Amino acid sequence: MGKVRRLVLDVLKPLEPTIIELAQQLSELSGVEAVNISIYEIDRKVENAKITIEGSDLDYESVERLIQENGGTVHSIDEVVAGKMIIEDAATLQD
Amino acid sequence: MEFFVRKLNEFREYSDIASIGEIGRRYFAMNAFDGVLTIIGVLMGSYTARVYDARIVIVTGFSTCIAMGISGLWGAYLTESAERKRGLNDLENHTLTDLSQTKIGRASRAAVVIVALVDGLAPFLAALIVLSPFLFSALLPDILFSYYVSLGMALVVLFALGAFLGRVSKESLIISGLKMVGAGLVSILLSYLLKVKGS
Repeated sequence: MGKVRRLVLDVLKPLEPTIIELAQQLSELSGVEAVNISIYEIDRKVENAKITIEGSDLDYESVERLIQENGGTVHSIDEVVAGKMIIEDAATLQD
Repeated sequence: MEFFVRKLNEFREYSDIASIGEIGRRYFAMNAFDGVLTIIGVLMGSYTARVYDARIVIVTGFSTCIAMGISGLWGAYLTESAERKRGLNDLENHTLTDLSQTKIGRASRAAVVIVALVDGLAPFLAALIVLSPFLFSALLPDILFSYYVSLGMALVVLFALGAFLGRVSKESLIISGLKMVGAGLVSILLSYLLKVKGS
């Protein structure tokens, strides 16, 4: 099986723990090299975050478990890159 | 050692999630203040009633300390537990997930225990410090001396509490301390008036 190198997740999470703490925790998982979390919607108690994780060999199960442990829920997996290198999605006429 | 470091980091994390530090500080100051003023009441009551047996003052004072400790522990546990459960349920309604086994759930349960302990121990220990000169009354020349030292210690503890709050609010430690001492002096003065009126 090819190695997962990038994951882009749509996550609903409580305001605490903060995205700083969540990013630090995610970056400590094995196979993770970099984490980017950006908030695109914020509510009174929760916020919607776009989490981008890149690494040499990502384990989705452990990523999801850590997010759930911090009170978050993965709403959708918006992008996955697997294989020997990272490629961006190809431009099509529809774009 | 590694165990303690891990537990300390866990506590810090829970403290950030559940705001334990802020609530704990508030409970500590409020209940230690209550404890000192209550024991001032006990001391002034005993003084006014001319209780010159140290054992009676110690037993009455200790009983009051225990009652305040239990009251704080029990009361805070039940109220904090109810509030935290409500907060967690509210959050669960937003996330549509069970949060009881997550860090948030564990932080919430830890907060209940820590806040209850602070709420119970703060008045108990503060009152015990004030009462302590009576434990050494046999070494002192006169029981009245124990009363004066105890009341003096009560004012010192109040000043320290005020200074602590001054540090929290980043105001003058002395002014904040004196405000607390003022409450103690008013309490002592009003109780003393009972003695004057009674005699």
